[in-house]
Amino acid sequence: MALAPGTRLGVYEIQSLLGAGAMGEVYRATDTKLGRDVALKLLTHGALDKVSPGHLLREAQTASSLSHPNICTIHQVGKTGNDSYVVMELIEGRSISDLIAATGLSMEIVTRYGSQIADALAHAHDRGIVHRHLKGSNVMVTPEGRVKVMDFGLATRLDRKEISELTLSHTSLESKLVGTLPYMAPEVLRGQKGDHLSDLWSLGVLLYEAAAGKLPFRGNTGFEVTSAIRREPPPALPSTVPHGLAAVIQRCLTKERADRYQRASEVREALEAVQGAVLQSRHPSEDPRGPRKLVLPGVEHLSVKNGDVLLLVGTNKGAFFLRSSRDRLRWDVAGPYFHGQGIYAMAYDGRSGRHRLWVSANNVMWGAFLRSSDDFGRSWTNPLEASIRFPRESGASLRNIWQICLGRNDEPEKLYCGVEPAALFESADDGESWSMVRGLYDHPHRPRWMPANGGLILHTILPDPCHKNRMYVAVSAGGVYRTEDGGTTWHARNNGIRVLFLPEKYPEFGQCVHKIVLHESRPERLFLQNHWGLYRSDNRGDSWQDIARGVPSDFGFAMLMHPHDADCVYIVPVESDEFRCTPEGRLRVYRTRNAGGSWEALDRGLPQKGAYETVLRDAMSSDSLDPAGIYFGTRSGKVYGSRDEGKSWKKIVDGLPQILCLKAAVVHLDGAPTTKPNLKSETPKRPKISGTKRVKRRKSN
Amino acid sequence: MQVLFNIPGALREFTGNQSVVRVEAEAGANLLQVLQALFVLYPGLRDRVLTETGETRRHVNIFVANENVLYTGGLATAIPAGAEVSIVPAIGGG
Repeated sequence: MALAPGTRLGVYEIQSLLGAGAMGEVYRATDTKLGRDVALKLLTHGALDKVSPGHLLREAQTASSLSHPNICTIHQVGKTGNDSYVVMELIEGRSISDLIAATGLSMEIVTRYGSQIADALAHAHDRGIVHRHLKGSNVMVTPEGRVKVMDFGLATRLDRKEISELTLSHTSLESKLVGTLPYMAPEVLRGQKGDHLSDLWSLGVLLYEAAAGKLPFRGNTGFEVTSAIRREPPPALPSTVPHGLAAVIQRCLTKERADRYQRASEVREALEAVQGAVLQSRHPSEDPRGPRKLVLPGVEHLSVKNGDVLLLVGTNKGAFFLRSSRDRLRWDVAGPYFHGQGIYAMAYDGRSGRHRLWVSANNVMWGAFLRSSDDFGRSWTNPLEASIRFPRESGASLRNIWQICLGRNDEPEKLYCGVEPAALFESADDGESWSMVRGLYDHPHRPRWMPANGGLILHTILPDPCHKNRMYVAVSAGGVYRTEDGGTTWHARNNGIRVLFLPEKYPEFGQCVHKIVLHESRPERLFLQNHWGLYRSDNRGDSWQDIARGVPSDFGFAMLMHPHDADCVYIVPVESDEFRCTPEGRLRVYRTRNAGGSWEALDRGLPQKGAYETVLRDAMSSDSLDPAGIYFGTRSGKVYGSRDEGKSWKKIVDGLPQILCLKAAVVHLDGAPTTKPNLKSETPKRPKISGTKRVKRRKSN
Repeated sequence: MQVLFNIPGALREFTGNQSVVRVEAEAGANLLQVLQALFVLYPGLRDRVLTETGETRRHVNIFVANENVLYTGGLATAIPAGAEVSIVPAIGGG
């Protein structure tokens, strides 16, 4: 009979019933002495009848000596009248069984949880404590993604008679062992005492269930289940399970005990070893040579609705996507995508009813590849061959893709990329095939361009929105070049831009331009952030004038045009080329609203002490709403946003890797309110950044 | 002759998840020739191991048995029948 709230057992005051199982009832209770909430398991007489109560309590007491982050701590074992109880750490979360049933688990999550469970077992086994009762419902996962193995030492032991009753049972499984039997090792079913090796078998069953979504040994009756456990090999795992993980599970499920892993730490090590491979594991594909589509299984994905604001954040260790509704108050964070790779450029292509994400992912070992996703990151193109490649006769090879630029609205199939070594590539078929723009590559200046700190890169591409054949590019360090004939011929356009690192201060080319911007309503006017110097051109780059009045430094990288106001430009000055951090440790965005006539500091909500930050050239962006949202990311991994055009700022997310680029976009899904309904989530619903304890939602201003 | 390639974890998505693949090559072939035979079977590997100019990527090492081919003639290294060729990412990070 359930205890009423308020009932006291020693210092524990019952709050509510949490659940009931074979062993008894579990309550939420308050330790009135220590003022903390605990879980209190009241052991039923039935449970104690099976074994000597003293023995069970001794085991629980032994288990209470275990202190491990993945083991539910037993605080106390006590008796009150005829009842015995065990007081444990209160764990808020869901059992792995629930998570498997609710959403299924990605392979990355299976290996991560699996290695935590193995670590818990290793800790207990080293202290001579065996679980004997490991199963999905006994393993909890906290909201932070930490596994907690419950009920160490609390397992009832079956006697021989019970086992033979169970294994010979031809009626459907109704006993309270229904949840336990499928996890039992063959030797336990033969009547041996469960030991550390039978725990590893149970772990294998649990891993199999988590990876495949179903138990390896099934049946309608106890006889069928036990017969499968004792005689049948486990059915083959689905092809979605990476080979390495499948091999670990297989070895745990070896009927011959000597062939199993002999220690839980070996299982943990094996799972850790496959973890990296699992992150990149392939999607089932018709083509055995490799997938055309890549699904990143360990990643939380966004659920994007029409009208949402997206922030694409590229870091040196992967891409993150942030989503908010139009109020821009709360942000969901998804990622990392392309774990460990440098994401140097991103774009959102919403032209012609598309909603395509483009990413340039640079793996330091295996090269830079352009990827796209039409489902907000759930699946990605995974080209067998690099789509952007230098022509053989050029003798050059691609080092990085620094910029992805959409063509004009009336050319929805057109895309451009700026790469390292400095060159411009274009695609006229939506990114299927690319060709290098020869006119620029063959320019007589090119051999004399000099690599800047980041290499010799073409980082900015500005098609003139009104003139089909006009385009500007910026090269570090080469300067600004303009074409008027669709890329056949190019002319340096650097007149008036100063160079401090050459003897000639105003050369024709060789400037280290960091960014140029223009507004579509006044495409003849350009603004430019130089390696030292802020400039404006009113004549399509033919000449430039200095507009650095009222800024603490005219050195900087990022420059952003206001989406609706052609006179409004944002920058984030940094102190100098030697000290590439915000001056005086104050993080300030500067804005001009009169086309560079004057600049004002926008610092409300930004740290003004000890904030030595850097905002890189592509790490500032705006959405298209009114008032416009302005966003930027720092090299220290923080994203700040303003939903009042810069008047005030809020930190949206912190703790990301170094932010290389950031792009904002408003999503238009014509006739489709959400992308979610047909797509099964691959990971637990709990919002969480993979592998971290970062709070996913942050309030913005 | 048959050559055995050890494929690093990150590239197994292009070999149907196989960590070891066997490739048939002409007797007397050098490393570049056996790699080309490998790329015919598993085209996703080529651009990840070599650059457009046909050089081994900077952070990729290739070993024949236990010897780094950097010291045995690079892509021109002679490959004996039954050789074990390992494609290994270099020490990296940052």
